[in-house]
Amino acid sequence: MMLYVVLFFTFFSLFLYVLLGGADFGAGIVELFSSRNDRQLNRDTIYKVMGPVWEANHIWLIILIVILWIAFPVYFNIIIIYLHIPLTLVLLGITIRGVAFIFRHYDAVVGASQVWYNRMFRFSSLITPIFLGMCFGTLVSGKIVITEDYSETSFAEIFMFPWLNVFTILTGLFYASLCAFLASTLLIGETTGEIRKLYSKKSAIFTIVLVIMGGLLLAYGLWNKVVFVQDFLSNAYSLSAVSLSALILIPLWKAIKEQHSLLTRFYAGFQVLLVIFAAVNTHFPNLIITSTGDINMMDETAPDSVIRVLGISLIIGGGIILPGLFHLMKSFNMISIPKNFTGEDD
Amino acid sequence: MENLDYARLQMAFTLGFHIIFACIGMVMPFFMVVSHKKWLNTRKPVYLKLTKAWQKGVAIFFVTGAVSGTALSFELGMLWPEFMKHAGPVIGMPFSLEGAAFFVEAIALGFYLYGWNKLPETFHWITGIIIGISGVASGILVVSANAWMNSPTGFDVIDGNFVNIDPVAAFLNDAWFTQALHMTLAAFAATGFAVAGIHAFQILRNKKPELHKEAFKIAIFFGAVAALLQPLSGDLSAKDIAERQPVKLAAMEAHYETKKGAPLYIGGIVDEENKEVTHKIEIPKALSFLAFGDFDAEVKGLNDFPEKDLPPVAIVHYAFQTMVGIGTLMMIAALIFFISLKKKSWLNNRKYWWLFAILSPLGFVAVEAGWVVTEVGRQPWIVYNIMRTSEAVTPMPGMKYSFFLYVAVYIILAVTVTWLMKRQIKVLNNSIG
Repeated sequence: MMLYVVLFFTFFSLFLYVLLGGADFGAGIVELFSSRNDRQLNRDTIYKVMGPVWEANHIWLIILIVILWIAFPVYFNIIIIYLHIPLTLVLLGITIRGVAFIFRHYDAVVGASQVWYNRMFRFSSLITPIFLGMCFGTLVSGKIVITEDYSETSFAEIFMFPWLNVFTILTGLFYASLCAFLASTLLIGETTGEIRKLYSKKSAIFTIVLVIMGGLLLAYGLWNKVVFVQDFLSNAYSLSAVSLSALILIPLWKAIKEQHSLLTRFYAGFQVLLVIFAAVNTHFPNLIITSTGDINMMDETAPDSVIRVLGISLIIGGGIILPGLFHLMKSFNMISIPKNFTGEDD
Repeated sequence: MENLDYARLQMAFTLGFHIIFACIGMVMPFFMVVSHKKWLNTRKPVYLKLTKAWQKGVAIFFVTGAVSGTALSFELGMLWPEFMKHAGPVIGMPFSLEGAAFFVEAIALGFYLYGWNKLPETFHWITGIIIGISGVASGILVVSANAWMNSPTGFDVIDGNFVNIDPVAAFLNDAWFTQALHMTLAAFAATGFAVAGIHAFQILRNKKPELHKEAFKIAIFFGAVAALLQPLSGDLSAKDIAERQPVKLAAMEAHYETKKGAPLYIGGIVDEENKEVTHKIEIPKALSFLAFGDFDAEVKGLNDFPEKDLPPVAIVHYAFQTMVGIGTLMMIAALIFFISLKKKSWLNNRKYWWLFAILSPLGFVAVEAGWVVTEVGRQPWIVYNIMRTSEAVTPMPGMKYSFFLYVAVYIILAVTVTWLMKRQIKVLNNSIG
């Protein structure tokens, strides 16, 4: 029973990281693809909107990792050994991005160094989600080579090729586009006037990019007989979830037009939930597909005693954190904004 | 050097970096809330200015601590996959609770940093306290996981698998309390002296002395109390190690021959090949007393342990001496501070401020040295007497490059953060009022 609590929190953390962390990365991507003028606007907007929560957004990743290593040690072991290099790159990106964000807002002197903080922030905002997407792509690509015999296979065959190929790069680009779409859509609700128009335009552009990337990913996978993609396209539930997610674009755009920011967020969040459901549902619980077969994450879970304590910890932790987080978002107008909100800081 | 050595170096380097940022991120919020409270009580602008200056420090150190901590949560698995596969479930409880505490800290920080003039004053101040408390809780929980590596309990090993796991027993292992106490006091002492020293230096430069004297008083108070308590906690730790990890104690003291009424060595050069210590000061029977509370107790020497189970003796001994030496200096400085509360004339003596300015970085040197004692002193084991570090390391070759990458990134980070702090102080000194 507790195993289901743990599973719930695993996917809950994954969902929130993809959604909140993603929107956070996306804000940097949007800034990267903006004109010089818009960049300053964007910088101020995301500081105001995401500043109070941005740190919390990224802790979902730590929670996810900790749950994986405690509850699914064998499964985690494979991820951590075979994704060593792309994960290192993700960490590098997270590090650079985190410090750049804080440096650019907390450096006592606002001077020439700002240019560097901005560059670091924007660039790492783009590459980090790409590498994260590549990690997920690698897990389901069917290219991981699990071996004990390191003399038979080369370093590149085990530690490079599985994560560095067209399929994983497409997965990475898809996730980066998703991030940019999320950020620009969420930011519409936070702004007024000219800036609002700007984000509406960006949101439209990134929606198109996202749809193209998704299409490319599926087409490439189908063409090259990637098992995961084949199974994805033949799974009725996954297909319906993705289709529904696409359909939601219509009410989403309506909500944006009517300036209904809470509804906008709800739809965008629901879309992400559907996409994750579609991806996970296709192969759950065999969420790693290697060159020699599938690996079931439910095989060899931690003993019941561990799962029980972890489940209780998660329920208690969640009981403290979630209301706190909700209150934080509410306090800084991230959940519903008053009508007279002008978007100006004090 | 082998892959294993580079993996160890990378772990040592990243942890050594993280420990500084984590300590500061854990302790500085307390300085900040004291200053904030003084502002609320007195409405003297100097306290508001100080609170806001320290809050920037807290934000910068929290984020650097958080990202280096995120990297560590991955690195544990990336460098030591076999360790995590077996030990992960056993020590999962403190880590999951730590995740929760860290989350609470991030939420409270969000409220605090962005809450000026938006939240009710008292609530705003309380969120500052929550930052501090959850930070200390995170620290204690992480140390509990490390203590388990020194004192593994809560499981049985059958055919190389860890079974019959009791996560609560593992969490509350024997080393947990003494280690957590020692680390928490060390964080307060090191951060208190570091921050106080920086402000003492500003007083010497005669830049905004009123502000820096207030800052000094708050920081050194925490540091001095911790520095005075630390020797007591050190004594508890020594007795604990003597009982649980006799080989680590012997390495700390470079004690080769098993002896009743063993002497304590101060200083000395360790000759690992000939198994002797030269140029030392010897205090008869002191080691037996410190370790077992009995002048004639027998202390087992390194020669009576199998060669393959010995840690590098010289490193552990020198690190231990460094830690104890600096700890003693800080304790004396703490006494000087408390006396100066009565003898106000000392505050006009430049030597007084120089003392604290010079001591500024030493607390962190002691923290690093202490951590070397506990980690290197446990080698060759990653889990004491259960799993060797060489059995835990990643099968991926080329750790050399990963090590150099981390060194480069972290050095750039450290330099940048130092530079940022200098700029903060400069702006504070040049501000009006």
